[in-house]
Amino acid sequence: MPPKSSSGKEKDIADEDEVLQAVILADSFNKRFKPLTVGKPRCLLPICNATLLDWTFESLALAGVQEIFVICRSYADQVKAAIRDSKWSKPSSGIKIVPIVTAKETFSPGDAMRDIYTHQIITSDFVLVTGDLVSNVRIDEVVRAHKERRRTNKDAIMTIVVKEAGAVHRTRSRGVSGVYVLDPNTSECLHYEPVLGYPPASRVTIPREILAEHPEVEIRNDFMDCSIDVCSVEVPSLFQDNFDYGDIRRDFVYGVLTSDLLMKNIYCYVAKDGYAARVADTRSYDAVSKDILSRWTFPLVPDNNHPGGHSYEHLRGNKYIAKDNSVSLSRTCKIGNNTLIGSHSTISENATIHASVIGQRCTIGAGATLRDAYIFDDTEVGEGCFVVGSIVGSHVKLGKGVRVPNGCIIADGVVIGEGARLRNFERVSKKRGASSKAVVDGSDGDDEDDEDSELEEIEARKFCLVSFLRRIILTSRADQEDAATILGKDSNALVWPRGSPADDEDELDEREHYNNLRLMRIGTCDDASDLELSDAGSNTSSDSETESESSSIHALSRTSSMTSVSGPSLSHANLSAQTSAIHSLSSAAAETEFRSEVAQSLERAFDEGHSVENAAVELKTLRMASNVPLRRVREAVVGAIVDRVPLVPGDASAQRTEIAKMVRRWGPLIDKIGGVDPVETIEALQYHCAAAGPRQGLFAQMLVALYQQDLVDEDDIRAWHKSPAAKGEGVKPGSPLAEGLQKCWEVGAKLLEQLSEDSEEESEEESEEEEAPKATVKAAAKEESDSDSEESEDDSSSEESSEDDEDEEASDDESGEDEDEAGP
Amino acid sequence: MGPELHTIHGHRAVETLAAKLRRRQVVGSREAALETVLVLRQVVSKARFSNIQQLIAVIRGVGRRLVEAQPKEHTVGNTVRRILHNIREEASSATKVSAAAPARNVYTISKFVLQGQPRKHNAGVPKSEATATLTEDDPNDPDSFARGLKPVLMEAIQDVLDELETVYDNVSKNAKDHIHSDEIILTIGHSKTVEAFLKSAAHYRNYTVIVAETAPSYSGHDMARSLSSAGISTFLVPDSSIFAIMSRVNKVILGAHAILANGGLVAVAGSLLAATAAQAHSTPVVVCAGQFKLTPLWNLYHDYGALDLGDPSSVLGFEEGKLVERVDVVNPYYDYVSPELVDVFITNDGDHPPSSVYRLIKETYDDDDNEL
Repeated sequence: MPPKSSSGKEKDIADEDEVLQAVILADSFNKRFKPLTVGKPRCLLPICNATLLDWTFESLALAGVQEIFVICRSYADQVKAAIRDSKWSKPSSGIKIVPIVTAKETFSPGDAMRDIYTHQIITSDFVLVTGDLVSNVRIDEVVRAHKERRRTNKDAIMTIVVKEAGAVHRTRSRGVSGVYVLDPNTSECLHYEPVLGYPPASRVTIPREILAEHPEVEIRNDFMDCSIDVCSVEVPSLFQDNFDYGDIRRDFVYGVLTSDLLMKNIYCYVAKDGYAARVADTRSYDAVSKDILSRWTFPLVPDNNHPGGHSYEHLRGNKYIAKDNSVSLSRTCKIGNNTLIGSHSTISENATIHASVIGQRCTIGAGATLRDAYIFDDTEVGEGCFVVGSIVGSHVKLGKGVRVPNGCIIADGVVIGEGARLRNFERVSKKRGASSKAVVDGSDGDDEDDEDSELEEIEARKFCLVSFLRRIILTSRADQEDAATILGKDSNALVWPRGSPADDEDELDEREHYNNLRLMRIGTCDDASDLELSDAGSNTSSDSETESESSSIHALSRTSSMTSVSGPSLSHANLSAQTSAIHSLSSAAAETEFRSEVAQSLERAFDEGHSVENAAVELKTLRMASNVPLRRVREAVVGAIVDRVPLVPGDASAQRTEIAKMVRRWGPLIDKIGGVDPVETIEALQYHCAAAGPRQGLFAQMLVALYQQDLVDEDDIRAWHKSPAAKGEGVKPGSPLAEGLQKCWEVGAKLLEQLSEDSEEESEEESEEEEAPKATVKAAAKEESDSDSEESEDDSSSEESSEDDEDEEASDDESGEDEDEAGP
Repeated sequence: MGPELHTIHGHRAVETLAAKLRRRQVVGSREAALETVLVLRQVVSKARFSNIQQLIAVIRGVGRRLVEAQPKEHTVGNTVRRILHNIREEASSATKVSAAAPARNVYTISKFVLQGQPRKHNAGVPKSEATATLTEDDPNDPDSFARGLKPVLMEAIQDVLDELETVYDNVSKNAKDHIHSDEIILTIGHSKTVEAFLKSAAHYRNYTVIVAETAPSYSGHDMARSLSSAGISTFLVPDSSIFAIMSRVNKVILGAHAILANGGLVAVAGSLLAATAAQAHSTPVVVCAGQFKLTPLWNLYHDYGALDLGDPSSVLGFEEGKLVERVDVVNPYYDYVSPELVDVFITNDGDHPPSSVYRLIKETYDDDDNEL
């Protein structure tokens, strides 16, 4: 047993025919399949009527693996039982499978690896896969290549199997992927950068040394991570040493490659033949199912080597019907291409089934339509049902005429009443009590009953509960009525909350962020417009959600659908071009969402008395996350400050002190949010005051306060005053806003008069003392604008300068993520 | 002592082969047949039985297991049937005191013509005389029957193995009678039998071979390389030009994956194209195949899946994301060539027209074994 890497190195060259070990991480460490995975581990979900674990075993057996360790956490008993009862545990299978139960505190693959290390089970190079792998790649060849490499280079600790999948591919995850920098000659992975679907990445940083050391590099963003890694013995010990490594790709690979100390190498194996993919989310569930049915996984296809041991007859058009003559197909039913029907299932008259998988002992009612649907065992689909792009668990009963549109997930045992109409991307699971109130009471009791229930589930239920409480409070009556229409009569189901769980977002890994997850749901089309359409549709029908909620979802859907066009799969040049386009399109939608976020953030900052720096950092992150122009942030900050000033009606001096206090405390924030643009600040102030009715009067005092705080100077006010926006251009004349703007503008003009009188007196001192530290460009501009204000003859130059100003403004607006101005 | 008990003995080997067949780690009709013989030899050598029925049940059980694992490798079932046939023959001759008499009934004209067979016959007779005292179900010594019979059985199995090992030579024995000088032969795919046949003919004749490249496996490339290295003048053409050049071709020689009882055959994809083109030009189509490919199947319903559809990756790259989503690719390994398109089968058991294949099958296997 290798306590340290040195002894492992001696061993690995020892003998060729030592047993090939594999480690399966049978736990997913996330909850993307919720609610299907309530009460069942993900690796036991069926895909094409065999459990994911069986597919994984078969994939490994195909590669000649002799010893498999299955690391299970949630529902370990079920996993163990499944292994015990499967054909794999028979001596004739030639494979030794050892289930290893890890502690409930194992929250990441990294924890599992540390567990492997403490168990000391690994004796040589091993294959590390996840429990949801479907593959026919010759892993033994990868192992051979890895061992060969280890002979010459002891630091080659890992070989990652990747597959070329092109820019847009159904099987390639849109949510989580990576950019690989390879040496094309040795296929060494020089750098790895994780990429998320949301927020869309627009840049990748490659360390300079890589380019210096390697004359030729390949930067690949079209790889599909097969999550097959051939690891050396020291990999678990590296995890042990670096206790913060969580994910294998994001943390381990990235960490090892960027580390200056480890000096380890990681290689990529680009699988030319063969297929390997992970069922990492519901979208890839759909994709992998389709890949299996269209025989990409050959010889692992339903009619040849079905891991569940079923036998299917392969008919023209990739239709697979169970072979034992137990399937009853009505004379008038239509079975489309790429369909699999399990044994003892019944398809009634006029039912249409297309590109779907139907489990064993299912009943499909007359006239039902199934498209891209995945129906698990023992499920009953009623007459005239319509199921599209959804996963329906086992023992589910769908009543007559139920509509299950795109992206729905229905958990095991759910009964949905007649005529129910689910909305898009609805998640439904079995209710634990009779009414929604009983759910609140019942959930605690259930937790006690179900001692095994993992933390994940409790969390989920808590979250369910919270949202339910919220819903009950907000729209209790409407909600109940709504649930009835969604789920139909006599349903035992519970609709899972939609949208982003705002409560625990902080704890979540950003990969599991709602916006990212929505790219990984079944039924999400590559076609962005489609996604947008479908979501818009779902929004109009969702009356239960409060106004702000639905609008924020709408905004989100707009942004994410727009960004998904560009996605990380596109080239960078394209990306930057597209983001600006996206920007202008979606800014209106994003604004609402962003505004509320900023308002919340500022409120917290004001209430809890954060330092200006901290508040600025928070705002910057928000801006990056929502991808809005700087101007919006400025507007929001200025607005928040104005709104925060306590109104002291009838006492001008008291009002002034209040404002001064406020501006002194929070004014600097305006310049710290990533870029200084006083003209814009004034404009924002003007527009906010003009729109804010009672606070209109604050404009002058605010402006003065800003002036006194040195946040704006005279030239800025002058520049603002001259700008067309300040005069209210572009605003409908006669509207209250326009009037407000006009008033503010006049106030500004007065102030300017006053200031110019003052400045004439002190012009000499000021220009020397105050202006000196400021940028010389500014000083020049000041001179020009000074001369301009006196109506001198060189109009042309002043116009030029003001045009320049505008140009700068415009460019600020458009390039939202312009990093250059981020650091003042 | 049920047959289940016996199957345990050879179990591991059987399961390993079944898994290999299922996972397509054993592919090709001859390789599958060879593996099957080796496994059956192991099973028989370990089997415990006190009468011939028990042994047959054991072998049938194993055969069923293997055929279920991979119904598309027809030679697995064929080999099992052939071994069963031989074992029955040996056993009956061993238990019957008068060994010579029943043997006459079994032999038919085709076997009579073929002088390669009597060796076994000769070997069988002295053995059966030596063990003439064998009795089934001896209550005193249940194993005595097995003990006595096993050497004969092993020899019978060895015969099948020998036949498989010499099949190429035997098929190409008469090659020079089929190929004449200055002929142009068209072939498709990389059949070992055809390769041996052509190479053997090249010793006597000077002729030209046109090899179709056989997309998407492009096994024609290997074939062309191999033939030209043997000094045969070879042309490699794309599959699409088969019809165009057919007018200049004197003979089409095809390999087979399996020969069906109706005289049709399952052969590498593209064979149907070649055979149909040949028919249009009235070019003779010759099929070279070992006897072990004779399969008691009739293909009445043209089972779609029987063509063994592989993965689309050789036709459409997996990286073509947009196409993968929208296009269903059908990539069959085999074609079914119907009997009317074939003129003659050249086997190690002589030359036969498609119409007499059923007769050949009847002689090679016992009728009881058609359903394993």
